[in-house]
Amino acid sequence: MAQSAVSRFTEEQVSSISRRAGEPSWLMEYRFEALKSFSSLPLETSPLYKKYGGVSAFDPEQFSVADDEEAVDMRGHFEGFLTGRETNIVLQGNSTTVHIDLDERYAETGIEVLPIRDAISKHGSLIKDLLSRRLADPKTEKYAAFNAAFFTSGIFIRVPRGARAPSSLRRLLVTRNPSSSIVETTIIYAEESSKFEYLQEVYTAESQGPFLLSSSFDVFAESGSQVDGTSVQLLDDDGVYVSNEGASVAANARASLATVFLGGGVTRSRFNLGLNGRGASFEGYDVFFCDGRQRFDLDANLVHNSPDSQGALTARGVLKGESQSIFKGMAKIRRGAKNSHSYIAHHAMLLDKRARSDAIPGLDIDTNEVKATHSASVAQIDEDQVFYLEARGLPEDEAKKLIVTGFFEPVISRIPLEFAREGARFTVEGKWSGERRRLVDKETLLALTGEVPDQERHKSDDIFERHYKYRG
Amino acid sequence: MAKLEIRDLHATVEGAEILKGVNLTIAQGEIHALMGPNGSGKSTLANTLLGHPKYKVTHGEVLVDGKSLLDLSPDKRAKMGLFLAFQYPVSVPGVTMFSFLRAAYNAVHTDEKNQAPTIFEFKETLAERMGLLGIDESFMNRYLNEGFSGGEKKRAEILQLAMLKPKFAILDETDSGLDIDALRVVAEGVGKIANNDLGILVITHYQRILKYIRPTFVHVMYEGRITASGGQDLSLKLEEKGYGWLKEQAGAVA
Repeated sequence: MAQSAVSRFTEEQVSSISRRAGEPSWLMEYRFEALKSFSSLPLETSPLYKKYGGVSAFDPEQFSVADDEEAVDMRGHFEGFLTGRETNIVLQGNSTTVHIDLDERYAETGIEVLPIRDAISKHGSLIKDLLSRRLADPKTEKYAAFNAAFFTSGIFIRVPRGARAPSSLRRLLVTRNPSSSIVETTIIYAEESSKFEYLQEVYTAESQGPFLLSSSFDVFAESGSQVDGTSVQLLDDDGVYVSNEGASVAANARASLATVFLGGGVTRSRFNLGLNGRGASFEGYDVFFCDGRQRFDLDANLVHNSPDSQGALTARGVLKGESQSIFKGMAKIRRGAKNSHSYIAHHAMLLDKRARSDAIPGLDIDTNEVKATHSASVAQIDEDQVFYLEARGLPEDEAKKLIVTGFFEPVISRIPLEFAREGARFTVEGKWSGERRRLVDKETLLALTGEVPDQERHKSDDIFERHYKYRG
Repeated sequence: MAKLEIRDLHATVEGAEILKGVNLTIAQGEIHALMGPNGSGKSTLANTLLGHPKYKVTHGEVLVDGKSLLDLSPDKRAKMGLFLAFQYPVSVPGVTMFSFLRAAYNAVHTDEKNQAPTIFEFKETLAERMGLLGIDESFMNRYLNEGFSGGEKKRAEILQLAMLKPKFAILDETDSGLDIDALRVVAEGVGKIANNDLGILVITHYQRILKYIRPTFVHVMYEGRITASGGQDLSLKLEEKGYGWLKEQAGAVA
């Protein structure tokens, strides 16, 4: 599809979204600006879409946008995704947040969890400020602009100063034959010295054709706070997943973001990470496993703006069939960010001759007295490893499965949230045998996986793990 | 007693013929040593017996208990009772020794009725075998062979041998890269496992491991064939005279 000269999307659509939600005028203006950028910015290009997947596999113009929430029958929509025993959970069906449940212990902490629209009425100026501080800039980034112009759902979480979440908050977004694109904006605002854990799971229950899920997710970790987020994406192959994840980390704050991408026909993910105060630290973990004709386009920007900051991003992917991935990772250390440590690694394993993966890591350093490393490798599965395991009685398929799950371990074992870690292992194993598994609750998960995995989180004081070059 | 019979085995690696007609029969309970200079085909024989995809059999037969195994995949050969202790055990990062051993134990000991051993049975056997070989429990949480010292790798191979209880074990230069103490530990481990149900083929360059694992038969391989067989005295002769005389002998035959 060639890019149309004039956008199909109009200001009327944008104002309709804004009016129905009763939004303040600043937000309508913000959306108009975003629409303008969206219409004028060129389509993002990637060798993945151009050469292999047809031009612009996820041009948002091929999808419609909604101007209002659609009714969701709660019970039917989440059939099979819930045990009914969940607490501290947010449920979103297509574009509608239908359920927010926090237990008493949670409520006592003063942590607020609101649909983004309610947050706009309640905390207008704060939201305005946070939107403007997002690292994926709608003025320069086409899909951030799309999201800003058309978002109708998402949640806002405010963790008050010093508050510590008693357990992690789960958010389940389930798509079921959505009538239009799902465009959601989620923000976590962790005030000074607070602590929060978040797990987001995205699934398809049913689809009757291609659909778009545009997601914008930002963490603002104020000084001394600690935020751990994990996002698991298990859409079906009709799903086009376009996401911008950002983390702005202030002095002595620590944030981590983990992604487990297993689903979606096309997944295009951008990480923008800013270390903005002395001693800020960030850890990123990316796990992806694709098969068939799946396309994963991953990009990470890690920017050190302050001294004594630490940033590490490790990605591991396995590709089967005719799937393709591309990973771009850039670490920037700005002037003044002395004594910072930066690390980016990407390792991919190919299981089929037709699978393909490219990695482009880069460093951009403007100051001395820093430590910055990156490494990347792409290799076919090691024939000698397969033989070794086969010679011990494991059939070829089982031998490869063990190698693949082992390959992910150095990343998965470092995901801070235990439930997310177990969930990642469980869903990755499912993917091996062609199942799209769901995380459900921890008890059920343990019952399904049989033994309780006694592997603790891999303890590592040094985030700059030694380089591990996959044999190839 | 089952036998491992190798009959006129020819094999190529990337088109080059390395094995040029190997004949050897090993019965359960017997210990055979296979010696010979570098490049004579000893490791090729070991890998060919287990079915490494790089090695192609062009002629000959390998039988276990009278059944041919050349058409079988490596895992099926393992299930028939063949075991190879690797010269260079590869590491498999991310897979703990424990989960690997469990998977291998299940695969090999699952019976005809598809009944896998229970986790309790596995753990009991594991504790007993580790005790026998003096292997520390901390081994189990480490990734398979990753960061293992030479000695640890070889001990891990012997532990696998002890867990899988094969009919025939090929020890491919299990003594290489070990210092005297490590060699003794590993060789004594093999001694503890050796019994009347296990046929062993020890591939080695050196006489020293044979002091611990006393072979009944010693064979010499030269240019892809077994050119001499005898008792322990043959290994002593090799130690003393080297392999030079083999060349003369081969020259005389040709």
